[in-house]
This record gives sequence, C-alpha cells and structure tokens, in this order.
Amino acid sequence: MKMPQAHLRTPRRNEALTATSAADLPISTDAARPSRRLAAPLWVLALLLLLTFLVIYPLLMLVFGALSDSNPVIDGFGKFSPSAKHFLEVLGNENVHLAFFNALAACGGGTVLAVVIGLAFSWIVVRTNTPFKGFIAGASMVPLFVPPLVAGVAWGILGSPKTGLLNTALKWMNIDFRFNFYSMSGLIIVFGMYYAPYVYMFTASALKNMDPSLEEASEVAGASAFATIFTVTFPLIAPAILAGSLLSFVVMLGIYGVPAALGAPANINVLTTYIFQLTAWSPPLYNTAAAVAILLMAVTAILVWAQQRILSGRSFATVAGKAFRPRSLNLGKWRWFTFSLAMTYLVIVVVLPTLALVIAAFRKFMFFKDFDALFDMRQYSWVHFNSVFDNPLTMLSIWNTLKVGVITAVIGGTLAFAIGYTVFRTQVAGRKSIDMLSTLPVAIPGLVVGVAYLWAWIGLPGGLYGTIWILALAFVARFIPDTVKALSTSFLQIHRELEEAAWICGRGLLGTIRTIVLPLARPGVVASMTLLFVLAIRELGSSLFLYTSDTTVMAVLLLDYYEGGNTGKTAAFSLVQTAILAVLLSFTTWISRETTQSARFN
Amino acid sequence: MNSALLIEGLVKRFATGKPAVDRVSFDVPAGEIVVLLGPSGCGKTTTLRCVAGLEHPTGGRISIGGRIVSEPERGVLVSPRERDIGMVFQSYAVWPHMTVYQNVAYPLKYRRSGGGGDIAAKVGDTLELVGLGDYAERPVTSLSGGQMQRVALARSLVYRPQLLLLDEPLSNLDAKLRIRLRDELRRILKQTGMTGLYVTHDQSEAVVLGDRIGVMREGKLLQMAPPDEIYNRPADPFVANFTGASNVLLGKVLERSGDKATIDLGAAGRIEAWTPHQLSTGDKARVALRAENVRLGERGPANVFSGRVIERRYQGMQTVYDVEFGGQRLEALELGTAARHETNREIALTLPPDQCWAYRDEGQAAVD
Repeated sequence: MKMPQAHLRTPRRNEALTATSAADLPISTDAARPSRRLAAPLWVLALLLLLTFLVIYPLLMLVFGALSDSNPVIDGFGKFSPSAKHFLEVLGNENVHLAFFNALAACGGGTVLAVVIGLAFSWIVVRTNTPFKGFIAGASMVPLFVPPLVAGVAWGILGSPKTGLLNTALKWMNIDFRFNFYSMSGLIIVFGMYYAPYVYMFTASALKNMDPSLEEASEVAGASAFATIFTVTFPLIAPAILAGSLLSFVVMLGIYGVPAALGAPANINVLTTYIFQLTAWSPPLYNTAAAVAILLMAVTAILVWAQQRILSGRSFATVAGKAFRPRSLNLGKWRWFTFSLAMTYLVIVVVLPTLALVIAAFRKFMFFKDFDALFDMRQYSWVHFNSVFDNPLTMLSIWNTLKVGVITAVIGGTLAFAIGYTVFRTQVAGRKSIDMLSTLPVAIPGLVVGVAYLWAWIGLPGGLYGTIWILALAFVARFIPDTVKALSTSFLQIHRELEEAAWICGRGLLGTIRTIVLPLARPGVVASMTLLFVLAIRELGSSLFLYTSDTTVMAVLLLDYYEGGNTGKTAAFSLVQTAILAVLLSFTTWISRETTQSARFN
Repeated sequence: MNSALLIEGLVKRFATGKPAVDRVSFDVPAGEIVVLLGPSGCGKTTTLRCVAGLEHPTGGRISIGGRIVSEPERGVLVSPRERDIGMVFQSYAVWPHMTVYQNVAYPLKYRRSGGGGDIAAKVGDTLELVGLGDYAERPVTSLSGGQMQRVALARSLVYRPQLLLLDEPLSNLDAKLRIRLRDELRRILKQTGMTGLYVTHDQSEAVVLGDRIGVMREGKLLQMAPPDEIYNRPADPFVANFTGASNVLLGKVLERSGDKATIDLGAAGRIEAWTPHQLSTGDKARVALRAENVRLGERGPANVFSGRVIERRYQGMQTVYDVEFGGQRLEALELGTAARHETNREIALTLPPDQCWAYRDEGQAAVD
C-alpha cells in the first residue's frame, strides 16, 4: 500500500468538493501533460495499423487478384488493370458451379447428420440417467481434436470400395453389402460424425440452462414424454440447434482435409479442394483461385452473420433467471440402450479409425487375402515408420511445426492481450473499430486466409514469402478472434475496482497492468496461448498456399504422403502426427490447469 | 372415499442424509385448500412434487380421488400425466415459444382423455376467469410476471383437474402484486371449487389462502390445523416460533392440570400458561409468547410482573421495547405512532395466561 500518495490526493478532492465554480477547481494533472493525451490515440492507431496489415491488406490483395488476370509472380504488380469481367467469368464457370453445389450438398448433408447425432447426445448426457454420462460427455468431444485429414485418411483405409477394411470384414462375413466412402455419401457421413460436437456444445448448454419446470408443466398437463420433447423441449432450444448447425456448416465448408482424402479419388470437388487444385496446376491459376476464394468467403460470411444474429437474439430458455438442477429422466432398462448407442458412436468415430491407422501403419501390404490374414503377425513391421523417418523432410516438418506454433502463440497471445485490454477495459475512442477488425477473420475460412496471404506477399521481392513467419502471421490473423474471445472472459472476471484501487494507490496505467491485470489474467492468457499453439500446429488450410520445401509443416507433409499414394507411410505419419498432437495437448492442458490452480485467489 | 388427496406415511429419501420427507400423513377433503408452510428445505416442496409424481417417493401411500397413485412398497407409480392434476410452478413455466392461447389450450390438446368439447370456448372462459380475456393472442414473453402466473394458473385450471398443486406461485412477484394476486387467487379457487395443495414459506399467504395449514420442519409435519388454531394454539415450539411467537422464557414446571401449567421462572416468579404437552413437575420448560401479546403498563388478573425497559426502538407505526424482568428478557410491541413508555423505568407488564404457551424444553435452537 502506498498510503502517502493516497493522502496527497485527499486534500485535492476536498477542495474540489467545496469549490463553488468550475474556475476554482484544480487543474488536472493529465491536462498539464500533452504527451499523455497523445498516448491513447497513438496506441489505438498502432493497433489499427497492425490489424490492417494482418487482415485488411491481404483481403484487399485477394480482391485485387480476383479482379485482374495478371500473374503476380511473372508480371509483378505493374501490369494491374482491374476489371470485373474476370470475376464474372469465374462465377459463370461450370466447374465452379459444380464445386459450389457439391460443397452445399456435402456440408448440408453433414449438418443434418451432425444435428441428429449432436441432439441425441446432448439429450442423453443432460437429460437421462444413462450410466457413465461424464465419460460419454468427455469422449464425445474427441472428434474435435482429430485433424480432418487424419480422419479422412482413416476412413479411406476403412471404407475404400476395394481394399477397405470394413469391406474385407463384410466379405468374410459373407454379407453382400460393400461400403464406398470415396463418394458424396462417404463425405457426408464423415462430416456429420466429426462435426456433431459443435451442435452438441450449443444444445447441451441450452438444455442445461432450461428451466426444468417447463417440461414438468407439460407432463403434468397430460402430454406424453414424446409429445413433450417435440412440442416443448426442441422448440425451446431451437435457437441453439440453429446456431450449432450453422457453425458446423461453416466449419465443414472451410475444411480441406476430409474432401481431399475422400472426395478426390471419386473426382468430387468441393470449393476448398477446387481452390487448391487451381493453384496446383501449371501454370497456377492464382486469379481464378482468388475469385473462388471470395465466393467461399462470401457464403461463410453470410452464415456467420446469421449465426451471430441468432445468438444475440433473446434465447427462449433463459426466461426465468434462477439456478436449476437439470432434470434427469429415469430410463429404467432403456438406459443401457442409450449407453450402447453412445458407445457405438464412440467406437465408430474414435476406435475404428485409430485401429485402421494402426493396422495400415504396421502392415507391410494392405492386401488381405481373407479376414484371417489380418491376424498374421508376420505381416506387421516398423518398415513404414522407418521410411517416414528416413525422409529428412519429416524431422524438418516437425521442427517447423513447433517453431510456427510457438511464434504464433507468442505473437498472437500478446496481440490478443493488447486488443482485449483496449476493447474491454478502456474507453478510448476507436476501440469499436479495433473490436470489429479483430473479429472480422471469424468469417474467413483458413484456406481463404492462405490464398489472401499468398496474394499479399508472393509478388513482393525479398519479403516474407518462403519464411515460416508468413505461416505464423497468417495463423495469427486467422485465429485472432478465437484468442481475443478466450481472453475476454478472464478480463471480464477481473473487477474494475481492483484496477481503480491500484490507480488510487498511485500506480500508472502500465504499472497497473503489469502488477494487477496481468497476474490476475494469467490463467486466461496462458489458456489462450495454448489454444493458439494447438490450433496452429494442426492447421492445414492456410498452410497449403504458404509453405515452401524449406518451411513445410506436418499437416502439409501428411498431405504429400497421402497424394504420393502410399497408404502405409500416410498411416504411419498420421499416427506420428496424432501422437505429437496428443502429447502437446495434454502438456498444454496441464500447464494451463497449473496456472489456473495457482491463481485461484480472485 | 371423500378425500380428494390422501397421504399416508409418505417418505422421500434422497441419496444422502436425513429423509427429505419423513412419515408425513394428511388428507385434503374435496373443495378444501391445504397450505404446507415452512422454511426452505423443510420438505414441503418435495411433498408436493411427490403428489405430482415429479419425484418418486421411497415409502408410504398417496391416493388422489380414491385411486392409489404411488405406493413404492407395492410398486405402484402412476405417471404425472395420468394423475389428473394441475400444477402451478414458482417460475411460472409458461412456454415462451407459444402465445397465451396456445399455452392454455395445450393440455386440452395433449391430454389422453382430451376432455373434448370446444377448446376455444374453454380457453376463452378460463382466460376470462383469471382476467386475461383480452390477451389470448399475445406472445407470453410480452407479459409481466403477474400476468405470466395468471397464464400458468389458467393452463392448470382449463381442464378442471381433480387436484390443483401450487408450488410457491407468488414468490417470484414483487410485494404489492403478491398481495393482490393472493387475494384474487383465493377468489378464483373458491369460485371454481378447486381442491388445492399449496406450498409457501410466507405466513400471510398461508393464512389468507388455507382452509387448513400444515407446518413442516426437517421433513416432518408438525401440526395441521385451521389458521386460527395454528396462531392461537401452536402444538409445537417451532410452530409457535415460526408463526411469530419469538419471545421465549425458560423455567421449570411446578404443576400441571390438563392443558394448564404453572412454570417457575426463577427470580421473576411464576407464570401460568397453556400447554399441549404432557408436562410433569420438575420438567424443564420454555414458554413462548408473541411480542404483541405483552401488555406493557397494565396490571391484569394473572401473570403480572414488574420489569424495566432496557431499550426502545421506534418504528413509526409501532414501537418495540426490550424489557427485562427477574433475569428474563422479552420483546414487547406497542401499536400506534406514539411511544408511551420511557427507558430505564420500572414498569408493570401482564402476560395473559391464554397467550403464553409452555413446551417441554428439548434444547432446540430457535429459528429466525
């Protein structure tokens, strides 16, 4: 406590209270120091410039690319002549239409399936006495952590029409049915299964927050359990269902890995795979890619906007403001049925694909004479792992991935802290614009960020392109909304008066941040940095356009292996990547839990 | 069978601790309103929810209209929707995605024994009854709290159930509205001739609405009687305390004959009191009485003491005095805007024997 300084201020306050006119008031110290008054606008300006550099400039270059037909690599930027003609041509192209409608079909179908699974799960977990609910709730979130390409690869191994493990099993059981996951329905099923947790997250919390007497009232009024679910429960959580399904649709729309693994063999292109194909042709069609990327971004932006509207609207379920013990329905014997339903889902989504990857990674050849050959131990070896690690690119990619992850976490975490503090804790002019700019990337799929950064830096000589910094900056831009959001909750938990008390004690703004805000917000800062780290090391979409042979990362290398056609090596590297992810994930969770626990004093 | 609701030896045990409801028995004759009154956690709401079928009892028997709806010993458990009951919830529980009309019409549409007849007419009549005749097409979310509770009431009355359950229906409303709706609720229930079980922690609601009041504590039903009996002849020190008899004098029983007892208060002398307990000479006893029944400055025919005013707290419409006599202390309440007694002066006080209630002292702590 710096009591003396507090005393110094007291007389002045008394003076102010007894002053009879404004002229008698003492001159405030802030007004006496002009440099102080400039600090806030300069700070806001710096943040705005930084965000413009990270977000707006690449987007402008993307629009620029879509509106011209000059190649930035060959022509430089000198020969730029903007015209909407090129963009309109792209929009009229049949291949673009096909990719667009394929994307709508795959994501639409996937969303329907995700809603069915997510809703069933949230009902089972929140509203029934199904055994091991806690475990089911936790395990059902696992699909969120599986990199999409790994999921796609695993389901390729399981469900390819000729050599798929599922089909081998069916043949052994003399069942005439064959799976074909290299198809639109395969895409829909994998999308639906892996993105159901997004729907689950929204609907489960809506069910938890719902006043149980709303359902009890229906029961007492004489409605059957079935009627209650469809006339009361589901209509009440309709906003949550809609918000969750829009989010899962948007996520699926931006995913590259699943359609790359399952769609490509059947020549099914969605928007993301089509965009990448355009840049992989020779010569690369960067302008067309930019135009299609803008189309993808426009669809995403509309859906994200719709989702935000729904979430900001008053939700039905919170009409009565009191804490509830969620109602749990006694299912009797049926609770083992719901339990086995949940287990089946977990087996299909987690156990089967893992098993498939393990078998493919350790087996010398993926050909099975019959089902018994599966258990022929002589067929298993470390050969694929050896060849993966013989490749010098493997260790390089792992090293690069870690470097990019750390850089992204540090830069992104710091920037998010600066933005979060400015937006949530100060009243400076311009903070609304900062908020807007930093939320903008929510509506930009990773792949589009990649194309935009490609356009922004490829033509500039000697610049960022070709270094890992461009990857890190793209990741920072892509994930800044998530990071700021993760941090904002911990800012909002620190009571303003804690800061004001430090000011009264004579601390300046920076001193207060360093001694009060930062220590109190530390768990939030660590948590959001680890989140950023994890997001960065599994990101594929935006890396695709920004890596070079020196800066390749794990996700990209995995795609290389897959496109090289060697299932064994692909599976082996998938396992390596998953293992590294799992280790880092548990390590970072441990770190953020430690910091949270040591900071329980607020 | 005449009882609309009969509860015999009801027990509800949750996973841990004491039973939430402990061998509670009472009945509600058709057309009567019984109020369960008690502090939070006393088991009154759990009892109500067992009657509704929303909680499953662990023992005892519940019959509604002569039909057993719950008897765990014999494995009988009728689901809420087949009990022919209506229920009004504390949080209103009106469905926010429906209009007023849709809310009230819901039970008529979804009940198995649909009730038949003209749904629109029934809904219209019931809305008229609760004073919401003009609101049928409004979305419920545009209504005030009091109006929402009227919708909830209409929804539970519209199909004329055998029994109406009300779970603290007024406690989410502000004080003024609560009083208005309380009086109106009594009118509506009496007008429709409903049989009701009403749960509250508010004494004034209990007195106005209840034909009989049951006071509960820690899962046990302590007394079930008409309101004036609860107030004038509390059978239990907790009932006396909960309904406002906050003064307690400690002493020993000198003698008892029937329901009259004489208690030795030590230095203060002896006091005559009414008692519901079988007290015997030498028992420790506590005498409860209301602050408003202490007659300050009066010398009556019995129980006259001489004390001293320690503190005076003027409260506008009334004045509260702390009085000390012979080592005992009590609060006395004087109505009116004038405070007539000074502090630190000798004063006579009369404690009318009929309004002093002696109980066996089992060392229970008084509740606030």
